[in-house]
Amino acid sequence: MRAYLVFELRRLIREPRMAIFTVVLPVLIYTISSGSSEEAGQVGGVDVAAYLMVSMAAYGALVGALSVGIAVSQERANGWLRQLRITPLAPTQVVAVKALLASLLAIPPVVSVGLVAAFAHGVSFSAGQWVALVLLMWLGSLPFAAFGLALGFTLPPQLTQPVSMLGVFGLAFLGGLFVPVAVMPHVLASIATWLPSNRFAELGWSVVAGQAPPVGGVAILAAWALIFGGLAAWAYRRSAALR
Amino acid sequence: MTEAVRLQAVAKDYGPVRAVDGIDLSIARGQTVALLGPNGAGKSTTINMLLGLLEPTAGTVRLFGGSPTEAVRAGKVGAMLQESGFAANATVRELVELARALYRDPLPTAQILATADLADLAGRRLDKLSGGQTQRVRFAFALAGNPELLVLDEPTAALDVESRQAFWAAMRRYAATGRTVLFATHYLEEADDFADRVIVIARGRVVADGSGADIKQLTGGRTVSFDRAGTDLDMLRRLPGVVEAEQRGERALLRCDDSDRTVRALLAEGHAWRNLEITGAGLEEAFLSLTASAGKE
Repeated sequence: MRAYLVFELRRLIREPRMAIFTVVLPVLIYTISSGSSEEAGQVGGVDVAAYLMVSMAAYGALVGALSVGIAVSQERANGWLRQLRITPLAPTQVVAVKALLASLLAIPPVVSVGLVAAFAHGVSFSAGQWVALVLLMWLGSLPFAAFGLALGFTLPPQLTQPVSMLGVFGLAFLGGLFVPVAVMPHVLASIATWLPSNRFAELGWSVVAGQAPPVGGVAILAAWALIFGGLAAWAYRRSAALR
Repeated sequence: MTEAVRLQAVAKDYGPVRAVDGIDLSIARGQTVALLGPNGAGKSTTINMLLGLLEPTAGTVRLFGGSPTEAVRAGKVGAMLQESGFAANATVRELVELARALYRDPLPTAQILATADLADLAGRRLDKLSGGQTQRVRFAFALAGNPELLVLDEPTAALDVESRQAFWAAMRRYAATGRTVLFATHYLEEADDFADRVIVIARGRVVADGSGADIKQLTGGRTVSFDRAGTDLDMLRRLPGVVEAEQRGERALLRCDDSDRTVRALLAEGHAWRNLEITGAGLEEAFLSLTASAGKE
């Protein structure tokens, strides 16, 4: 299984598209949006620059975590996953590696947007906060990794890409990553608090505010992890079923 | 345990369509066996059931005395599927190394690359290969783990004549190490040239099983040809021993399963003919007559 993980990691690093969508794009949006709102003061008890940093890191993490589902869908269609099934590698190990990869892809956007925030926008935290931020955002990305796998094991490649993109944008927008929940209309704001994307970013917002994440938020995120995890397991079993 | 593969009354339905209709076969270790049949005969379905990728509707499949999945997990099986793709963004060498890492007792990398004629392409990215090169990579991936049973589904489908010969030479070297090889093909000459044993499948059933020579003998297949000088083709088709009759220019070609009777009748009935020729059938004729008789049932 380690050999397969190394093989997959090496492939991932070579994929330039991945770097553009999970690193360059979030950093770019962050730079533009925080540059224009420097005087806005605070959002939810956090400096705007820090608040936006978490939002954009969370957005990049969503893109990264869901992208593995697109790869799964392609590899399912071209027969590579089938080829792997006639090796000693157990199919569940393949799924585990894919889930791990998806969650790992949540880290580069957090780190890169964080670096830009620290060096270009005067955002400063303790070392402990940085570690907590990366760790929580990594673990918190699991529901999205599972969501991506559920799509990848269900849809053909032509559909997986657009549906994933729609999912990312929908979750990011409705979850308050582009527009803070505080300025959303009442109905949208109450929807937002039930979404995994909002509760995912909340992990980061709590860390930069120097607080522990609220238990209710973590519970909602965990519930989504179970739902998407169950869906992914179901989708996987269905796709691998012997007919 | 001297048996590598055992299929007992294996059948497979796709909805109302019966793709495999009760196949029994046993393959001893060390044999090189060809599964020969036209497209749609049920070769790929049989192979997929044999590898545990498909569940038979009825019957049992055993590899080395266990289930296909057990044999695959134990690293006893390597397979080359039809048109299977590879992960993008990896090189030939990385893929071969991955395959080696997955099996307990793999072949040395250099030997794998040399056997599959890939030494010059080791650093090449998988998405930058031609069809023939990709096919050789599939072969390399299948044999990397040094499996006891190597299964190849239409292995030379994308190859030109030259790489086809190179491929079979490599396959022969592998089989010579005492491994069991099962390959599906619809190239008759391949089955005849490279297999110890040929199993002919038509319409989901085994219609013949033996050496290439056995199969030719079984049908007694010969071709009787002559300038037909106006004799009606339908009349010729009704002669005893004729399986099929066709016309090529002025010549009538009769595929026969008993050419002696055909020729006797041809003389006795006084049909007009000139330049009579009787030729022994290749496996192709044998194959056609077997397939045709399976269809008559």
